[in-house]
Amino acid sequence: MPLRIDPEQNEVQALKQVADWRGQRVLEIGCGDGRLTQRLARLGAQVQAIDPNVTLIRAARKRLPQRLAARVHFQVGRAGRLEYPKESFDLVVFSWVL
Amino acid sequence: MVHALHEARRVLKPGGVLIDLRPAAVHRQVGVIRAGQSQRLGAMREKFDDDYAANRAVAEVVRQGLFKLERRIRFDCRRTMDSLAEFRAWLDEFVTLDKLPSHNWLIERVSQALHEDGGKAKIVITGPLDLGVLKKRELGERKKAAGSA
Repeated sequence: MPLRIDPEQNEVQALKQVADWRGQRVLEIGCGDGRLTQRLARLGAQVQAIDPNVTLIRAARKRLPQRLAARVHFQVGRAGRLEYPKESFDLVVFSWVL
Repeated sequence: MVHALHEARRVLKPGGVLIDLRPAAVHRQVGVIRAGQSQRLGAMREKFDDDYAANRAVAEVVRQGLFKLERRIRFDCRRTMDSLAEFRAWLDEFVTLDKLPSHNWLIERVSQALHEDGGKAKIVITGPLDLGVLKKRELGERKKAAGSA
């Protein structure tokens, strides 16, 4: 089995404690290969996930399960210049990047 | 970092929430686990300059009245790996990106522990994560807070 991060899902438990993610529009900044993105989508969020690394975005798209595809959109992007209108997200997640 | 937080605030709806999730500024512990028993092999020697800078950036936007820090949670997070090659690749990338001193001593210890066990042990890296919850404040709230200060 390859590298596994947080097999106990403590991260998910903590995320559940702090917000109700169902139906929320979420911007995830620094999504990397989409590990946390998938967890947020499973919690019911609609996730716009960005990362400056195009290789990681490609990998994230590739590993995204079909059943989550309608809830997730990956895009190359940077935290310092967000290409979204003002007031467009309920939650913004800095994912191991700040 | 402060600029990124300002950008995040711009795209957040009124009353929206910013989640700051990242590894805590605590040295990760490396060990092996076999038959339910864990053996600690050493602590990594990370630098925390970036973490302290991030903490300062968060404190700055709170001070500016742009966000209210509502909550902080710390919880454990483990990574598990099955082979020395995986551990070496992960550590090499980590050491290169963060310009850390060589951790070959740690690779040696892990190698020895795995060898003693005939390769059945799992490598475990443990380190806490911090989760900060920051609520977007509006202009009216900021004025009110400033007036009552």
